[in-house]
Amino acid sequence: MFLNGVEQLIRRKIVLVAVLASLAFLGFYWWGVSAAAASFSRGELTAWDPQTEMLVEMLNPADAALAALITAVPLAATLITALTIVLGSSMLPDEISRGRMPFWLSLSQTRMRVFLGTGLAPLAVSLCLSLLLLAGLMTITGIYFPFNPRSIPLALLSMTVWLTVVWASVTVLSVLLSKVASMVITFFLSGVSSMFGGLYELIRQFPGDAPPAILTIAKVTMVVFPADRGFRGLLYGIIPQDAVVTQNMAFFGVSASVPLLHLAYGFLWSLILLGFGYIRFRRTDF
Amino acid sequence: MSKEDALSISGVIKSYRKVKALRGLDLTVAKGESFSLLGPNGAGKTTLMKIILSLVRADSGEAFISGIPVGSPAARRGVRYLPENISFPQWATPMILFRQLERIRREASREEFMERCSELDCADLAERPVGKMSYGQRQRVALSLVTAGRPEMVFLDEPSNGLDPAGRIVVRNLIRNLSSAGVTVMLNSHLLGEVERTCGSAAFISRGRLIAQGDIDSLSRQKGMALIETQDAPAMIEALSSAGYGCSRADRGVTAVMADSEGFRRLCAVVLETGVPFSGVSLQREDLEEVFLRIMGADGSKEAGDVP
Repeated sequence: MFLNGVEQLIRRKIVLVAVLASLAFLGFYWWGVSAAAASFSRGELTAWDPQTEMLVEMLNPADAALAALITAVPLAATLITALTIVLGSSMLPDEISRGRMPFWLSLSQTRMRVFLGTGLAPLAVSLCLSLLLLAGLMTITGIYFPFNPRSIPLALLSMTVWLTVVWASVTVLSVLLSKVASMVITFFLSGVSSMFGGLYELIRQFPGDAPPAILTIAKVTMVVFPADRGFRGLLYGIIPQDAVVTQNMAFFGVSASVPLLHLAYGFLWSLILLGFGYIRFRRTDF
Repeated sequence: MSKEDALSISGVIKSYRKVKALRGLDLTVAKGESFSLLGPNGAGKTTLMKIILSLVRADSGEAFISGIPVGSPAARRGVRYLPENISFPQWATPMILFRQLERIRREASREEFMERCSELDCADLAERPVGKMSYGQRQRVALSLVTAGRPEMVFLDEPSNGLDPAGRIVVRNLIRNLSSAGVTVMLNSHLLGEVERTCGSAAFISRGRLIAQGDIDSLSRQKGMALIETQDAPAMIEALSSAGYGCSRADRGVTAVMADSEGFRRLCAVVLETGVPFSGVSLQREDLEEVFLRIMGADGSKEAGDVP
């Protein structure tokens, strides 16, 4: 079922459009970064030091890499989130509405296999495209601004958790609600989670200035829909460890640290949600 | 339940909220039988078929395929199902669909699939995308996919829908071939003529209960009439009327009403005595439509125990 699902998805126009959009995105990114690199080599990336009242070269290539990645990754993430939501919301409902689900279920296989096989295909496609984008962004950045990322394994793990949370919620919602409703709700939750995730980092940076209610809401959001912790983990993992700008990273939405417990929670949350979705699917009459 | 039973269902009850679709239905189908579920719309035929295929869960009761409870995937090994109005992805060719199916069922080779396509007159469509096929072509392809290889049991839900007369003949021949190869075929169709030509037995279901079951031949009764095939119908009508028979004109001659079961022999003797040329005399039996109407009533409202 999984291979059939992947085959079915990669033949869809939306996946082709997403691949082309990703390549175009990488192309523009390459163009922009190479232009910035030309400026950098001419020594234009300098800063005014108010203490010495002198123009100093305070930014190294890793800082430029940080700036480039912080600009590009959230945009790429929006593309990936949208693709995951569209694919995840359509796979199971399409098989049901086109009358193919009874056909698959009548074969000698369990409902669990059908549910996971059909459902996992969109996650696999989204993860592949995310890897393509991430690898492209890192490579292009590294060519012009050599840097050492903090932790690629952490970035990959976080990316998987982030996409798994989005995929699990849209898959389960698509079993319970209509396709459009599941898309809208998941997109809304992703947006809210991202906003409060960023606020949470700012509040942690400046705890005295924030109303406690916002911190509470941000924490509740992270518990209810833990996608953002994965996304912040991705950012945390890929940013250059040798950048001069290492303080006040919350301005860029980057976490000061990403406890692995948060990622484990996101993964567990997805499993519980999927379990709920599977129970509903198993009880459905087709 | 016997080991020779392909299907065994007992006391199956299913309700959809307040609607009782099946009310304690019992049914047994022998292996290799070509069988049809008949009944008015809403009688519970599709629900029953779906319970057997584990697509719908029964509220209570038991159902077995070859002795294995229907909930187990092992029960569906060798079982094939063609749902009504299935829609395959537009880009997919029959070969791609076959490959996808075989990833799961692993029961038929490419050669066996092509063989079935040839039998269903659609071998030339093997590499054509489904989106570029007519409805009838798609239905033939779907039948080829479902029946490729050596299935043990085939469930067909309205397989002749949308097919032209030539297509219907092809489907009819397919069902006969499957049946003669020992495959149990369960057909759900509103086309009683097709059922009569292809199935050996039938079950009549009304309001979620089994009303009657058996060989179609044994369910069909003599109509108490005989057909006398003759070119000179007026002369035959006149001669038989004068002998006391109620007669009427038929397509190929004259129908005569007989008083009792012994009357056929007497009628044959009378026909011979008339001297009117004739080519044959045969007893008239109910066709399946007439059997259906007698068993189910014109509005399909008969209950178990009401069967005349």
